[in-house]
Amino acid sequence: MSEPVTSADTENSTQTTQSTQSTERSTVSGETDERIQQSWLDYDFEGEPKLASKELDVHYGSDHALKGISMEIPKESVTALIGPSGCGKSTFLRCLNRMNDRIKAANVDGSVTLDGEEIYQDGVNLVELRKRVGMVFQAPNPFPKSIRDNIAYGPRKHGDIDTGLLARLSGRKDQKKEDEIVERSLKQAALWDEVKNRLDDNALGLSGGQQQRLCIARCLATDPEVILMDEPASALDPIATSKIEDLIADLAENYTVVVVTHNMQQAARISDQTAVFLTGGELVEYGDTDKIFESPESQRVEDYITGKFG
Amino acid sequence: MSSISGFERIRQTTGSDDGALLTGAIGVVLLGAAFVAFLMNSTLTIVPVVGFIVVTAYGWYAHQAETARALTLLATTSTVLILVLITVFLILEALPAFQLMGLAIFAVEKPVELFGVTVIPGQDPLWSTSQDLYSLTPMVWGTLITTALAMLIAGPLGIAGALFISEIAPPTIREIVKPGIEIMAGVPSIVYGFVGYVIINSYMMDNFALPTFGSLFVVGIVIGLMSLPTVVSVAEDAISSVPPSIKDGSLAMGATDWQTMKSITIPSAFSGVSAAVLLGVGRAAGETMAATVILGHTQALPEPLYDVFGNTETLTSLIASQYGNATGTHMSALFAAGVVLFVSVMFLSVGSQLIEARMKRQLGGNQ
Amino acid sequence: MSDGYGSKLVEGQTSALERVTTGVVGLSIVSCLLGMTSILRWTTESTEFLGVSLFDFFAIGLLAMGLTLVVIGVASRTGMVETQPDRNVGAFTAVAIGAISAVVVGLVVSQTLGLGTLVSVLAALVAGAATTLAMLLVREDIGSTVPIGVLTAVVGVLVVTGVLGPEWSWDPEAFTATFNGTIVIPALTVFCGLLSAWAAAKANEGFGTRGRQNGAYLLIGLNAFGMLAILAGLIVFIASKGIGPVLEGVQLGAGFDWPFVTNGYTLSPNEPNGVFPAIVGTFWVVLGAVLLAVPLGIGAAVFLTEYAEQGRFTAVVEVATNGLWSTPSVVFGLFGYAFLVPRLGNNTSLLAGMLVLGFMLLPLVVITSREALISVPDEYRDASAALGVSQWETIRSVVVPAALPGVATGVILGVGRIAGETAPILLVMTGGLRDNAPNILGSFEFTSSPPFVANDALLQSAPALPYQLYATITAGVSGDESFGWATALVLLLVVLSFYAVGIASRFYFRRKLHQ
Repeated sequence: MSEPVTSADTENSTQTTQSTQSTERSTVSGETDERIQQSWLDYDFEGEPKLASKELDVHYGSDHALKGISMEIPKESVTALIGPSGCGKSTFLRCLNRMNDRIKAANVDGSVTLDGEEIYQDGVNLVELRKRVGMVFQAPNPFPKSIRDNIAYGPRKHGDIDTGLLARLSGRKDQKKEDEIVERSLKQAALWDEVKNRLDDNALGLSGGQQQRLCIARCLATDPEVILMDEPASALDPIATSKIEDLIADLAENYTVVVVTHNMQQAARISDQTAVFLTGGELVEYGDTDKIFESPESQRVEDYITGKFG
Repeated sequence: MSSISGFERIRQTTGSDDGALLTGAIGVVLLGAAFVAFLMNSTLTIVPVVGFIVVTAYGWYAHQAETARALTLLATTSTVLILVLITVFLILEALPAFQLMGLAIFAVEKPVELFGVTVIPGQDPLWSTSQDLYSLTPMVWGTLITTALAMLIAGPLGIAGALFISEIAPPTIREIVKPGIEIMAGVPSIVYGFVGYVIINSYMMDNFALPTFGSLFVVGIVIGLMSLPTVVSVAEDAISSVPPSIKDGSLAMGATDWQTMKSITIPSAFSGVSAAVLLGVGRAAGETMAATVILGHTQALPEPLYDVFGNTETLTSLIASQYGNATGTHMSALFAAGVVLFVSVMFLSVGSQLIEARMKRQLGGNQ
Repeated sequence: MSDGYGSKLVEGQTSALERVTTGVVGLSIVSCLLGMTSILRWTTESTEFLGVSLFDFFAIGLLAMGLTLVVIGVASRTGMVETQPDRNVGAFTAVAIGAISAVVVGLVVSQTLGLGTLVSVLAALVAGAATTLAMLLVREDIGSTVPIGVLTAVVGVLVVTGVLGPEWSWDPEAFTATFNGTIVIPALTVFCGLLSAWAAAKANEGFGTRGRQNGAYLLIGLNAFGMLAILAGLIVFIASKGIGPVLEGVQLGAGFDWPFVTNGYTLSPNEPNGVFPAIVGTFWVVLGAVLLAVPLGIGAAVFLTEYAEQGRFTAVVEVATNGLWSTPSVVFGLFGYAFLVPRLGNNTSLLAGMLVLGFMLLPLVVITSREALISVPDEYRDASAALGVSQWETIRSVVVPAALPGVATGVILGVGRIAGETAPILLVMTGGLRDNAPNILGSFEFTSSPPFVANDALLQSAPALPYQLYATITAGVSGDESFGWATALVLLLVVLSFYAVGIASRFYFRRKLHQ
């Protein structure tokens, strides 16, 4: 009974009532009866895409939660996924590191590639995939352990640092390496100055915003290439939110960040490109953030952004 | 005490009229009278009982809400009262034995001295009804050995079973295993005992050349199997109460499911899991029929002490096997065995509750 | 990382390593199962299996598994097969292997070489520590295969060469028991088989974190399977022993007769003995306990969840309830003996049994009812209160009905538990093997002196199924073993049918809730 459904998207996807046809380009949906056009989804950028999805469909039992999503995500940038509740944006995010595998009823069809390598094929090493594609969740979820143990968790589990009993007996404890990783990650997450004197305190004693930055630091400690963030600031107050937003902007220099948000101002502030999902699990428009917010091509996206619905 | 304050509260919160209060007061007085009469073994107990029923019926008719509330309070109080009565009567009955034996109720064969002071008195034989000697040491030892053996089985296997059910098994298999474990808890202890008595005891004599019928080893294994379901279900509750969000956090970092269980789930549920083991210990120590039926009933320590294939007695089997022909101090000594058992199990129960409360507080900070 | 461990995103398909290790796991599990049959003496050393005697099969199998494991370890270390081992085995594996080596060395030094206790203990400690430390010097692929492989192969060699044969026997001074080869060989086979299966499962996933997960899952899965097998074995065994006498003399059709269920314990040679009085007694005692415990328990649960504010009083009640729940049944029996028996006619009686079992059932009803009541959403209460309905009306017509399925399930499971209880009945109700069933309804009569109502049947001892089984044992097994098995079967059926109904109703209500 522990299905990790953390986002409202999956629960609300039952709202999809309209009939769906097999190809998403011709799907008719919503009140506006508008066809999604290929040109709205084409997004040209330089270089190879870091992540790319092609014709990605997700079913939860009989619910069709994502319909034929194809999009390419450039590296070292911030991509925002926006849309109303139940539009499938969190589901899409969870496809990118195969966290949907955890939900028994979820059925994923189509393709997702990481640096051109298919992640939905036999023989994919989930450990390796999730090391390279890190994730930060909606509500801060630090482990009930010390701050240090939280940060060092990933490297320890992956055998990069060994602080086990045997290693200690043989005097091979990688303490120095661990200290470096802890310090580097916490500094990257702009948390170092606040916690450097209490690394051995329980992480649950931190404030909500600090906990979320700890979770980001924890994710950075495993040296990911991509960081997925599922509404990372939705449970935080405005000050903590702005700290997280600054952090995301900094991270984009070295990492590919994909962030789900339902806060349009936030998406406009932090992202380089934006993808708009609308009710029914469709990707309606994708492109430069400025363009999406200033001159969207789809009438439905414009209605959503100007607050007429959604 | 509590019932009076309950009525006060009723008056304050519902603003009920004096009629309801009077009815309640009469009801309480009648019930108290009935209880006292029953304690004094009076044949007139029936009079206040009937009175109470009449008053309750009137109250239900005239002031239903207040009566219902008072009755539920009464039911609550009765739970506590039963525990108090058990404690009081057990100790009252055991008192003569404690008075007769003093410290020697835990006597061993040769006195143990520390700096010339006898810490534990010596006595030989340890248990003899004809000489009025009642040392509970062999039974305590027997209970300890069988419980330890049982927990060697039920502890690790139970926790592994709980992990399997809550974390590993696919849903369809879980739907089979979980009720299976529950049914295992339902098999009456006398049935286990009968199998142990008829089958395992002869098996041990045939294949391990045991000289006597019954052994602590067999009892330990049977009791271990019997307390296994308790450990599994309580540990499973604890493990599945770990918030899924922190497990997701671990998995999303590329930890395997097993690493997540070892490093996140079990440490987070540690209090609950240890409470499960403590409850299992309580069940194992209090298990009566299997021990009674399987053991050979010798009230002496095994030789050497750790000879698990030997025979002795457990606290429970002592009571069940000797109550029939016991009178006077002998019976009182059996009650003393009950007190030792009861007190130990209460400690385990309260201990496990404290641990569980701690776990709730800890995880509560995360939600 | 730097050590060049495999870290590819996509790995190759089934390899030779996977096929070989799957074979080892399969062989180990087959050996374990056969070993269990031998320990239970369903098979013996002379049983033929695949053309060889069973113990020879064990020996050859152990040898094969052990050598294969060693080869796998070496092949992985030398890079002949592709794996992702960690630098060392985990602490648990190291300590476990150390402990095994300590036991082996200790036993050999003390028993085979005949040296004294002190020397043996020292040798064992040194060996254990040395083995554990040695695990530090080797990579995980060697550490988790070679020691187990060597142990398994050595056992295999000992059996093959006949050093350890069925005639072998060991009579340690410290224990009364004698260990014979007929049991020791299959026991070692099971033990080594489990270890080999574990090691091979790790190798199957190429060691490393996923290898360890595979190994752990295998053992945990086998454990769950074992528990179910024990349960199924027990039920099937009792059924097979008891079904004959239970069905003896059954006549279907017009002259329907089922002597075992409809007869009493007649002691006459012409008439089959039966358990009718015990079934009736069990029915009455359970009914009495339910009538006492269910209203009290639900009442208490309602008070605790609906009326009481969480505070010291509720905390005390909670501790008391949980305490009562874990109180051993024999203590309830003693309490009944001291408190109820003297006040209920000074002899063991059905009424005392009802009360004591009711006291035992009470905490369970309180706990399960509380859980059910707590799980009723507060929205129901708020909605009802917002309509101006009083608290008591809300409880009566909204809260309790919504919680009823949970309460009912809890009560049914609790009844299953007390229906099989023997210890309390032993002290307060007794009533052994007898011919006539208690006649409760027919025994009510009015008297002129207080308490004005009397019921002899209630105040007399009465039989019950669990106690009847105990009485069969104390009467001596030689007397009537098949009667015992039949009673056990009927008792098991009665209790398990309560459980089946309870579990099925929970399943049903949960289904209904989710629709």
